[in-house]
Amino acid sequence: MVESRWLRWIGPGVVAVGAVGFIASATFGAGVRPWIPQGCAGPSPGLTGAARDPGAADLAALPSTAWFRLDPLADEAGDLRGQRLAVGLDGDRTARTLDLPVESFAAGPFGRVVLAGSDDGVASRLEAIDVEGGCSWTIAVAADVIRRATVDLAGTTVYEMRIDRATRGDLGIWSRPIDGRGAARRVLEPIPVDERFGRTWSTEFAWSLDGDRLAVQSCGEAACRTRIILPGGGRAPMLDAPDLGLLVGLDGDRLVTYAACRGLPCPVIVTDLRGGGRRVLADDVRAAVLVRTADGARLIHEQGAGIRARLRAAPLDGRLATDLGPLPDGLRLQASPIEAASATKVPAGWVLLTPDGRLPIEPSATRPILRHIPDGATVPLDEALR
Amino acid sequence: MTTCLRGGRAFALTAAVFIGLLVPAGGVLAHGPDPAFSGGSFGQDQVLRFRWRSGSEPSPAIKTAIKEAAADVASSRSSRAAMFTYDAAGANPIGYGVGATCGVNGLACFTRDAPKGFTMWLREQGHVFDWGTLKWCQSYTTAPNGCYDAETIALDEFGHVESLDHHVNYSTNSDYEDAVVQTFSSTKPSTGWNRHTFGRCDSATLQLKYDVTSSSAKVSTCLDVATVLTLTASSVSIPTGGTTTLTARLNAVASASYGRLSGNALGGRTVTLQRRATGTSTWATVGTMPSGSLGGTYVVAQRPTADTQYRAVFTTPTNEGINGDTSPTVAVDVVTCTTVASSDVAIAIPCA
Repeated sequence: MVESRWLRWIGPGVVAVGAVGFIASATFGAGVRPWIPQGCAGPSPGLTGAARDPGAADLAALPSTAWFRLDPLADEAGDLRGQRLAVGLDGDRTARTLDLPVESFAAGPFGRVVLAGSDDGVASRLEAIDVEGGCSWTIAVAADVIRRATVDLAGTTVYEMRIDRATRGDLGIWSRPIDGRGAARRVLEPIPVDERFGRTWSTEFAWSLDGDRLAVQSCGEAACRTRIILPGGGRAPMLDAPDLGLLVGLDGDRLVTYAACRGLPCPVIVTDLRGGGRRVLADDVRAAVLVRTADGARLIHEQGAGIRARLRAAPLDGRLATDLGPLPDGLRLQASPIEAASATKVPAGWVLLTPDGRLPIEPSATRPILRHIPDGATVPLDEALR
Repeated sequence: MTTCLRGGRAFALTAAVFIGLLVPAGGVLAHGPDPAFSGGSFGQDQVLRFRWRSGSEPSPAIKTAIKEAAADVASSRSSRAAMFTYDAAGANPIGYGVGATCGVNGLACFTRDAPKGFTMWLREQGHVFDWGTLKWCQSYTTAPNGCYDAETIALDEFGHVESLDHHVNYSTNSDYEDAVVQTFSSTKPSTGWNRHTFGRCDSATLQLKYDVTSSSAKVSTCLDVATVLTLTASSVSIPTGGTTTLTARLNAVASASYGRLSGNALGGRTVTLQRRATGTSTWATVGTMPSGSLGGTYVVAQRPTADTQYRAVFTTPTNEGINGDTSPTVAVDVVTCTTVASSDVAIAIPCA
């Protein structure tokens, strides 16, 4: 299939298309194709099937697994001019790229779907890109600014974080059926002002490892507050300790976060959302990710830097951490999408090591590898895809 | 004699916090030196050379701001903390925007791997947060209100690299300017938005971690270091008309809580000698003791005409963070030649 070699902004507005197009064209490599997704055929219920989590995958499922990466695009003066979204399938290292406006985001993958949100200063548009199908659906166009969005495990419901366009004030968390049948309704109120955290810099979503609880984290400049939407729509009490920072992951009632650090290394702490007890899982953590294994959830994290950098696996229940061996030269742990602005799904019990901790767009870049948590076994990603 | 830091704050706050037991909800802590990261320090006066990260170079205006922040470290560290200098071949990359590993919030971030090196990132101009759009003041001919000063933010990050954690302010923030390493960065024109020197509570922790530059260098007023003053006489029994040399030694108290300042000789201070006739109670000031040839020593010769007691006094200064102390009393007896000759071989000289 020959991809058309041109760009467009997804979103209702067109801002500086020429400038960004020039930058994009100048930086494309052989495996990168600027792309415009066609509208997906058929009614939007088809989106539910596309966005549904296929469940526990194994290495054999990797070739059809979607990935994305989002990068800022700056001009020569260092000013942000937009963001470039690259999407693809793990089994096809050809990247398709879309240029998004300055205020934009990506999330996923949800099944074979990546969400892309864009705002042109007048309206926000939320689109679902079927990476495998090479098409997209428009999920929402809103006068408010949609800052972030996510899709539930079943692929039926979209959650959005919105702010007021004029004041940038928090408007809360909203949900809507992904198929467009039914209006959006607010499921979480705006987070209250709290001077201990300062103004809100970012609001992020993360699903629990089971996919049944949604963590909504609102961060100040360093410290973060987390609210949980429970199965059935209930809410857990807000966790608002000002010494806690960025979310790593959620396993049932156990929330794993960094401390409120501005840099790394930084301690990672697990908090029991029911009893409030907490424990430091590891003191000097760099990149980290929470993963499911056959033996329960594990915090996988980098310890040390440079040639001393190693991977470690820490159980959440206080048992001793285990060493997963050194990090190969040039590779780092692919952290959560919140940290990496890049994601794919790997089978339970595996973690992905990538150049600079992010999936490469160029196929010629250093080869990512998969590492098996129980035994430290390593498999190059491209060999796993054969 | 207290050995506590001002406000009773333990130095190893960060470690204590992260070992579990944490700042009480609300973050109520007393004023004091910046907390410090665990994980080691760089070498004293170590020079850390930075370069721009390939593919993620800052804009010219931001490069200038970062270089100026590096110079700010050198000029205001008030200690032997590491210094930073630009070197195109430097081992420590500083990036901007693309590929920033800062997570989702914050203006800038760093990694540190003492004593080997560090990395730093600054967000790109125009990055959009929930609250609005990031503006670096350096990106404008006339900096607009609401912008962040990149030099200040880079200085904050260099402070983190040195080992400084965020300063804990009073609830009123009245001490905001005591530190540039702050949890909440200021925008123009708020207090501290363009501070280009370390604050006294930043340099306090740098002194604890890296030491002061010399025995006569001032100790940060954010500290409250106890001192110990001693006084010795070259002879405590002299003949009439004889001379004794009095030597005072001023040191910081030896205490692990003082880090590298522990036990330091304190030279160049004002140490006063006092005396009184043996058997009386009123002290009279003799004068200021000149500095001796050894750091932290103060030396003066005295020729008492009668039995005399001496003491040295160091009054708490207002311009640095050390406490005053008074030495124990030293008695010098003036004796006749006969007595001297028969009892003290150290003064076995003829009477004048």
